[in-house]
Amino acid sequence: MAEETVQKVIYEHEGVFIHSSSDDDGIEQDLLVSGSLRIVDRDGEIIVEYRPLEDTVDPSNMLCAGKDSSSVMEWAQSPGDRSQQLLETQQSYETEWDMINAVSFKKRPCSNGEGSLNHTQERSRWAFTFSVCDLRSLTVKEEGWTFLLFKLKESSTSLPALHFHQGGSREFLDSLRKFALLSESPEDITCLLVSTPNKALSQSFENLLDDNNFGLVHKFRKDPYVTTLGSFSKVTNYIFDAFRGTEEQHQRPPEEVADLLGEVIPGLEINQQEEPGFEVITRIDLGTRPQVTRREPLSAEYWIKHQDAEGRMIRIPHLKQTIFKGGLCHAIRKEAWKFLLGYFPWNSTLEERKALQRNKTDEYFRMKLQWKSLSEEQEKRNSRLRDYRSLIEKDVNRTDRTNRFYEGIDNPSLVLLHDILMTYCMYDFDLGYVQGMSDLLSPILFVMENEVDAFWCFVSFMDQMHQNFEEPMQGVKTQLIQLSTLLRLLDLAFWNYLESQDSGYLYFCFRWLLIRFKRELSFQDVLRLWEVMWTGLPCQNFHLLICCAILDSEKQKIMEENYGFNEILKHINELSMKLDVEEILQKAEGICLQVRGCKDLPAPVSNILGFPTEVFISDLTESGPKSGPGPGPRPQQLQDACSSVQEHLRESSSHNGCKVAFIS
Amino acid sequence: MTTKTSLLKVILLGDGGVGKSSIMNRYVTNKFDAHLFHTIGVEFLNKDLEVDGHQVTLQIWDTAGQERFRSLRTPFYRGSDCCLLTFSVDDNQSFLNLGNWKKEFIYYADVKEPEKFPFVVLGNKLDVTERQVSTEEAQQWCKENGDYPYYETSAKDSTNVAIAFEEAVRRVLAMDERTDHLIPTDTVKLHRKPRSAATCCS
Repeated sequence: MAEETVQKVIYEHEGVFIHSSSDDDGIEQDLLVSGSLRIVDRDGEIIVEYRPLEDTVDPSNMLCAGKDSSSVMEWAQSPGDRSQQLLETQQSYETEWDMINAVSFKKRPCSNGEGSLNHTQERSRWAFTFSVCDLRSLTVKEEGWTFLLFKLKESSTSLPALHFHQGGSREFLDSLRKFALLSESPEDITCLLVSTPNKALSQSFENLLDDNNFGLVHKFRKDPYVTTLGSFSKVTNYIFDAFRGTEEQHQRPPEEVADLLGEVIPGLEINQQEEPGFEVITRIDLGTRPQVTRREPLSAEYWIKHQDAEGRMIRIPHLKQTIFKGGLCHAIRKEAWKFLLGYFPWNSTLEERKALQRNKTDEYFRMKLQWKSLSEEQEKRNSRLRDYRSLIEKDVNRTDRTNRFYEGIDNPSLVLLHDILMTYCMYDFDLGYVQGMSDLLSPILFVMENEVDAFWCFVSFMDQMHQNFEEPMQGVKTQLIQLSTLLRLLDLAFWNYLESQDSGYLYFCFRWLLIRFKRELSFQDVLRLWEVMWTGLPCQNFHLLICCAILDSEKQKIMEENYGFNEILKHINELSMKLDVEEILQKAEGICLQVRGCKDLPAPVSNILGFPTEVFISDLTESGPKSGPGPGPRPQQLQDACSSVQEHLRESSSHNGCKVAFIS
Repeated sequence: MTTKTSLLKVILLGDGGVGKSSIMNRYVTNKFDAHLFHTIGVEFLNKDLEVDGHQVTLQIWDTAGQERFRSLRTPFYRGSDCCLLTFSVDDNQSFLNLGNWKKEFIYYADVKEPEKFPFVVLGNKLDVTERQVSTEEAQQWCKENGDYPYYETSAKDSTNVAIAFEEAVRRVLAMDERTDHLIPTDTVKLHRKPRSAATCCS
């Protein structure tokens, strides 16, 4: 297209590679993308362009080469294949995240402007281009060969590392030096800071605002319409701060911290793109929020009325609805929680449940005996178990100790807490013990007052929460992405504010999500909240709407006080024990009804909340398996995250975010 | 003297259960709760103090110590002015892990000159009777690893807690003076913006 206009190639080199599986350490080589790197002078603007070579992109090759690099799916062409692979991909969480990693830099490259979008996106996925004056620094690393890492001025964007397996890096740097001053960073000799002299206008902005803000202003100058929509709050904040003078709003560290968190939670960058078309489209009118009333807790008599002669529970949907609306009175919790958590099947008879409990008791004590019967000598040689035990002992002593049930020295409940957690290590040795699990167990043991029942109910709860505790914290990351997606689509103004304070990835909700608000509410309120959530009503991922409800209550304060990164974290942390469960539930249900009633609900929202989405996806033939309201939170969540990310990508590619330059 | 206050970010690192939160709480609120919850995620508290005529707001960051939470903990290392490496004198393993914590910090905080970075080592739980780590061992480690100041603290009975934080501040200020970034002057450090102490929340 227009890119072949007046341009002069200053440097060109083939055999420059992107390592797809990891774009910064350069060690893994599941998939090498070979391409050519050029520096061109286009109408006076110096552009760096990377484009993959056409014939290196052979999907069948990729399938073999990158067996656990899900970049595979990005390369596959046929819709059928794609969903097939998507399914396979979802078997592995790691792969899942690889995928998100891999796709995430699709939109990271910064565009040099118009005319760069084109067909063959699958190939151009790896292509990127940026203007030299957008380059902040580049880092030169050696790993037997040279590779370069680019950092653009716009801190949220980063590019895949370029590996010069066939030389040419020095020439590249030399060519670059003709147009920009490369100076060694005083802090890191491998890092070259880039400054370009010829940008009088932007320079004046730069002087006015500090360097960090420059990227935005620069972009604003280039494409005011687009930038304004995505970053209006950012601009107002900068201006506001400029007037306010020396407040500590924009220290560098929080911004750097935010950058790093963005890398830790890679999918979120997809949300953080300031991408115009998407936001215009999804600026939806949600209508008014319906008033919702809560009801009285379900009584013991009511519960018993819902059992048939043999003890089967009847009218279960109605029962669940009642529990959702009011929770349970405490007396019935011990029994009802076993059903809600899935330890007891709803349609089991009393006899069947007794038999089940007998079996489960045997099973429990078999596992308990396993760690109980280890000799000290054996344990010395089992460092994992030893570490688990040591941490369990410490954490048991600091879990809900002000609660009557756990208070005092040598409280027998502490022993039970300890033993159940140790036995859980034998039940799921891969996971073992992770901090936060004692928080999840404590209310269950409190309600059950029985070691075996508490253990199996805990196992059921952990089935839902498992991912939260797995190695790279998948569950929480997935939920943070989903929450960010919801918030952005439901409350763009607030989301933009958070984003402008480098908090768009919502890290401050980490504790809420990891242990389902356990530390945020009083003990009694936690019991209520959990039983309500365990009904699975009124929609999938209701806990994310609870997050939205709490944030909705706090947003006025956060925005009025103009809280920055640190203050937001502190404010949210300090909400602990100040929240009212009924108020939160009421609001969250209201939001659910409001969203459900919205006609033009964006597909990602529907996906996350498990609403039907046919209308929105009918044109997207290659989409993966759709999330139904089925059980099994683990795969479900992944699927949601995955499909919502895909939606974003799809939308971003169809509206071709100004930041992505697809080269033909 | 000057009315300017500088903000220093200090981070507490160490194994789970060595008493990081307790040290922070003792110092900032002067309270101790043996049954305080273990930290989930990241928290921080601010504390104003004066050291050798310098007004300082310490921003003390406290993290979850378990290995599993590393990826969500380490981003907060950025911008730290000082790191308090903490172990518990009744837990040898936590002492053995000091080196790992130091490494993790240097790597993720992206410290440019690790040998010059101000670390302070705290051996906490001095109040317990059954020690597993002797004072000499700990001092030896500090000496060999960069001549770090070492304090044996007790968050429970308040021993040495304030002194340790003040020493941390001195180390940072000394660093700044060496690198010619004097704080109590009219020079404004770009990455450490002065502000009035009144805006501080604690």
